[in-house]
Amino acid sequence: MSVLCAVAWRLLHLLLWAQRVVFTWFRSLSWSFVFPKLADLRLGKAGHFQGDCGYLTKQCDCADLRHRCNLKYLTQQRSRNWRADGCRLGKLPVHMAVLMGEEVQSYTDLANLVVWCMAVGISYVSVYDNQGIFKENSSRLMDEVLKQQKELLGHDYSKYPLEHGNGTTDRADRALIHMPFKVLAPEDGKMQIVKAAQNFCQLVAQERRKPIEMDVNALDHLLRTTQTFPDPDLILKFGSVDSTLGFLPWHIRLSEIISLPSHVNIRYEDFYSALSCYAGCEQRLGK
Amino acid sequence: MSWIRDKELSLIERLCANVLKAGPIPKHVAFIMDGNRRYAKKCHVERQEGHSQGFEKLAETLRWCLNLGICEVTVYAFSIENFKRSAEEVEGLLELARQKFTRLLEEKDKLEKHGVRIRVLGDLTLLPLDIQKLIAQAVLETRAYSKCFLNVCFAYTSRHEITNAIREAAWGVQEGLLDPRDVTESLLDQCLYTAKSPEPDLLIRTSGEVRLSDFLLWQTSYSCLVFQSVLWPEYTFWNLCEAILRYQYNYSNIQKAKEIHHQQRARLQLESDRSWVQDNLCNKEYSTAEEDLILFQKLLQKCKAGREKRTQTFICALEKKRTDFLQALCES
Repeated sequence: MSVLCAVAWRLLHLLLWAQRVVFTWFRSLSWSFVFPKLADLRLGKAGHFQGDCGYLTKQCDCADLRHRCNLKYLTQQRSRNWRADGCRLGKLPVHMAVLMGEEVQSYTDLANLVVWCMAVGISYVSVYDNQGIFKENSSRLMDEVLKQQKELLGHDYSKYPLEHGNGTTDRADRALIHMPFKVLAPEDGKMQIVKAAQNFCQLVAQERRKPIEMDVNALDHLLRTTQTFPDPDLILKFGSVDSTLGFLPWHIRLSEIISLPSHVNIRYEDFYSALSCYAGCEQRLGK
Repeated sequence: MSWIRDKELSLIERLCANVLKAGPIPKHVAFIMDGNRRYAKKCHVERQEGHSQGFEKLAETLRWCLNLGICEVTVYAFSIENFKRSAEEVEGLLELARQKFTRLLEEKDKLEKHGVRIRVLGDLTLLPLDIQKLIAQAVLETRAYSKCFLNVCFAYTSRHEITNAIREAAWGVQEGLLDPRDVTESLLDQCLYTAKSPEPDLLIRTSGEVRLSDFLLWQTSYSCLVFQSVLWPEYTFWNLCEAILRYQYNYSNIQKAKEIHHQQRARLQLESDRSWVQDNLCNKEYSTAEEDLILFQKLLQKCKAGREKRTQTFICALEKKRTDFLQALCES
């Protein structure tokens, strides 16, 4: 009996894997509007939902989101009215975090994404991966962003100046302070909380502070000295791993998490539909 | 009604459970039970009825988890942010809590039969005193059981929890039990309300929302996150199976990422210990490099042993402080 169950289990996972592969292939042929929701094995009741935007491997089911993803105006890159796209959405994240959960790294595609964010009007962008690869190569990423900025935004690029939020001066001489961009790694997450805790405990040991003085606002203030960006409103997660992989635990308490399968060859339409999904999210903040 | 349903799985459910058990099953699952009010609106009933149905679904889900071999479940029952709701709704939720914890104490036999230990995580001082007492009784009466664990987050937010953990560590330093350098990620793990639990393997949020809403932010860094659009009172066994399938699909990638994190953590701890040793070696002079090395290793060992001993003493003191608080509530 247990052998049969084991065989059935392997078959089930093989079917699921095949389903994902087929769907990704269909999606890459832009047939995704014709085949809705294939990737999600929904065995229970669908229930009422606002647009199940957790996984954009399946299409959002909201009629109004389909309307917003009207492909008519999402064609030529340079002729786009980027700011108008941003306004059309109604709600944009102030800070968008890009969580890189894939084995492959495409600096050009990631740079494109950062430039699109700038162009539609997102004020802060951060990039994170759990091995710190992008942080180690942040100058390379920055160069790529500047290159794509010129290429994608053409003569308009001077309207979208860029500051490298990590504080290095690699290309900062060209930029005005306007749209901060940061590259993060695991040491920016729990490690910063631990450091803040150690520093506070040091002050307690010196009798310069009392334990009771540690509260949510105090810790938040301590963490803002290293993490000057506002909390991420949106986490755009790439890759098939369904986890935050250690990304800024303190700061993501209200962040919407939207997934896309891959950043490699990412299209503007995919980015735009993720923003549409975000615009459809309603936060009640406990009320 | 009861906290754990008596209903057994149907034949097809049992078959599905056996197939799933051929792969890795999460040992600890966390639920954000969202969608009670939307369910009530959909069914044209009062919000209170929606919350009541939500509790019934919790009882059913606990039963499914037991049948699937999931021995630890953590649920987000009431957030500190929920105090912002209307006074009527808050009072309704607290009244529901009163009824359910009273019922829990009446079901001691069932809890003993299944060996369920109840823990309530949150800032209990924010709750009415009678509810605090009921909670204290439930927690103390089940503390000897260890077959499975139900953690109810009540008057909880993750930021409050993390801040409280740092306050406890600071208390340890103030009492002379800890050195500030002993405050590490591992120590803070043991100061959280969830100190006795492993990190959740799987976090499930219902109703289609795709955020964590200040729930277990520290503990779920490497958990599999599954967002499902079904409303909580409509949750089915098949929804749970779907979530477990996703967990199994993610298993090896998440394990790899966890391993990288543990290695980073161990490396940082070693660097910190080495730096302590360097600070202490500066004052000493030795004739040979070999003697230096031997002394270095000895001091490193001493540093580690000292830290572990202080941490152990502190953890015992912290546990006693928490138990004393609950006992004082029961006796008052």
